[in-house]
Amino acid sequence: MQMIDAIRADAAKVLQEGRAKLVIGYRARGGHRGPVFLSDPAGAAALVYDDACKQNLAVYLRKPEVRARMPVAVVAPPAVMRSLVLLAAEAQLKGPEVVVLAVGDGVYHGVLDLAGVEALLKEKYAGLAPSPDLLRRIEELAAMTPEQRAAFWTAEFAKCTRCYACRAACPGCYCSRCIVEKNMPQWISTAAAEHGNYAWNVIRAFHLAGRCTLCGACEAACPQGIPLMLLNGMLAEDVARQFGAKPGYDREAKPVIGSWNPDDDQGFIR
Amino acid sequence: MMKVIDANKLSDLAAALAAKGYRVVAPVRDADAVRLKEWRPGQAIDTSAISINSAKEFFFPRTETIGRYALEGSEFKPEEVEPQAPRTVLLGVRPCDAAGLAVLDALFNWEYKDAFYNARRAATTVVALVCRTADEQCFCTSVGGAPDSVLGADAVLRSADGGARFILEPLSDKGKSLAADAGAALAEGKAAADPPAEVPVRFDSKAVTAWCGENFESPLWREVSLACLGCGACTHACITCHCFDIQDEGTRREAVRLRNWDTCGLALFTLHSAGHNPRPDQAARWRQRVMHKFRYFVERFGRLACTGCGRCGRLCPAALALSDVCREIEDASKAAAKK
Repeated sequence: MQMIDAIRADAAKVLQEGRAKLVIGYRARGGHRGPVFLSDPAGAAALVYDDACKQNLAVYLRKPEVRARMPVAVVAPPAVMRSLVLLAAEAQLKGPEVVVLAVGDGVYHGVLDLAGVEALLKEKYAGLAPSPDLLRRIEELAAMTPEQRAAFWTAEFAKCTRCYACRAACPGCYCSRCIVEKNMPQWISTAAAEHGNYAWNVIRAFHLAGRCTLCGACEAACPQGIPLMLLNGMLAEDVARQFGAKPGYDREAKPVIGSWNPDDDQGFIR
Repeated sequence: MMKVIDANKLSDLAAALAAKGYRVVAPVRDADAVRLKEWRPGQAIDTSAISINSAKEFFFPRTETIGRYALEGSEFKPEEVEPQAPRTVLLGVRPCDAAGLAVLDALFNWEYKDAFYNARRAATTVVALVCRTADEQCFCTSVGGAPDSVLGADAVLRSADGGARFILEPLSDKGKSLAADAGAALAEGKAAADPPAEVPVRFDSKAVTAWCGENFESPLWREVSLACLGCGACTHACITCHCFDIQDEGTRREAVRLRNWDTCGLALFTLHSAGHNPRPDQAARWRQRVMHKFRYFVERFGRLACTGCGRCGRLCPAALALSDVCREIEDASKAAAKK
């Protein structure tokens, strides 16, 4: 049996058995992949899974129209699984709300609950890291002088139209009122111009520091082709190095930036 | 006799026009994409694919200062801002973009004549490029357009002699002036125009307009919008989307009044300060999007507010496409008719 047959069979089964009211998976639209929402087991035939399935489906678990139909089953590659664990760690998702059809590299791990997903991630996907190509590009960026790096990002952010597709595609961006929507005071200029674009993109990266699982959904979503993974990747590498933290593996993890441990290094306070 | 130019000499045309004082905007390669940008000397003009951004931003910028004011003591001092409208040529925009200008012309001259838009429109010569190829997201022919439409264009570039050359055909006075300004960059000659792309009709837009008039409460809106993430990618990329947001930003002493692109996809778009939102879910927002383009604009201006450029479908992070939704609406309309 092909992997996709097993996924489709399980998708139909979780609906038939009432383990889920809705299955969220991927469908094909020509060469593109998009989400599909199934409430009828017969619809499982529409499910596909391959390397082109890059969208992070965990984002839908914050959408009220989807939450109204919980429990939800999600076809989840490791990046999506980590996002689900992150959402659970941040009290945005509860165990009984989700069931996971866990897929890996060319392998299907079956139907798991969040505890099972956490165990699977720790056992088989603990070593998830940015691709060598991304790491190389991050190193190139890090080797630049601050002026060179600022010039690089200024040129990239000049393309930004402030569509907020990056925010909408990210499972970690779920504030009911985003910082850009606040105008008392106006923290970030709403204008799609240099300093507002710079502030928006950098602040979003900072608000995800220690939380971003490098799923790549933001960069894939950006209609202007801004290389957001370089920004998020650089911060993720910093967090991993300085705090030894990798988000999305532990439902009990405290947020890296948002928590304090008495054992934290305080050597920089002189 | 026609005006012709070798296909690989378009940048010479750009250079000639720049020398005559035009700001040249043309499709150029930018990493993995073709982007409409201010052309720089030496850049090659890339006509291989539709640009990822539409021509809209050259008439209706992403952000624009439309007013300035200062507070001196207790005195409020507003300052007029003149529209920035340099003489411009859009060299090689797709017919769907040129046709989109007809939609924007109607909107920005409705009850209020928008000085900012009109100044730029008057200062710009639009040279459309007839499409030789189309992809599965193109649907100009479903919305009354065509890959060789000249609506909204002052001149048109047609591929000829198997792609070896372009014929430049001036259409309006601006187009004729441009051809004259091009000077020696254009040669007098003869060439055989290549056939335009074939773009199959994907749905019946009249059926969509009709169905929209009767199905405000249809459950279909909820189904088609479930995948929608509520961002603004489609509206920002769209040549005809024109909603804007006025924001005042500054300090206590001086501020600017900005006009920014807005998007009906955001929940924030219709959020009232009291907390009520008349479009409370993505279904209502998708309904608005489709109805604005396929019903309300038709009722008010007699034309669709969509030219089938397909950017929304190409760029949507959730692989939603207006053409797919219109097809579903047409199917729903046919199914209802059968009952």
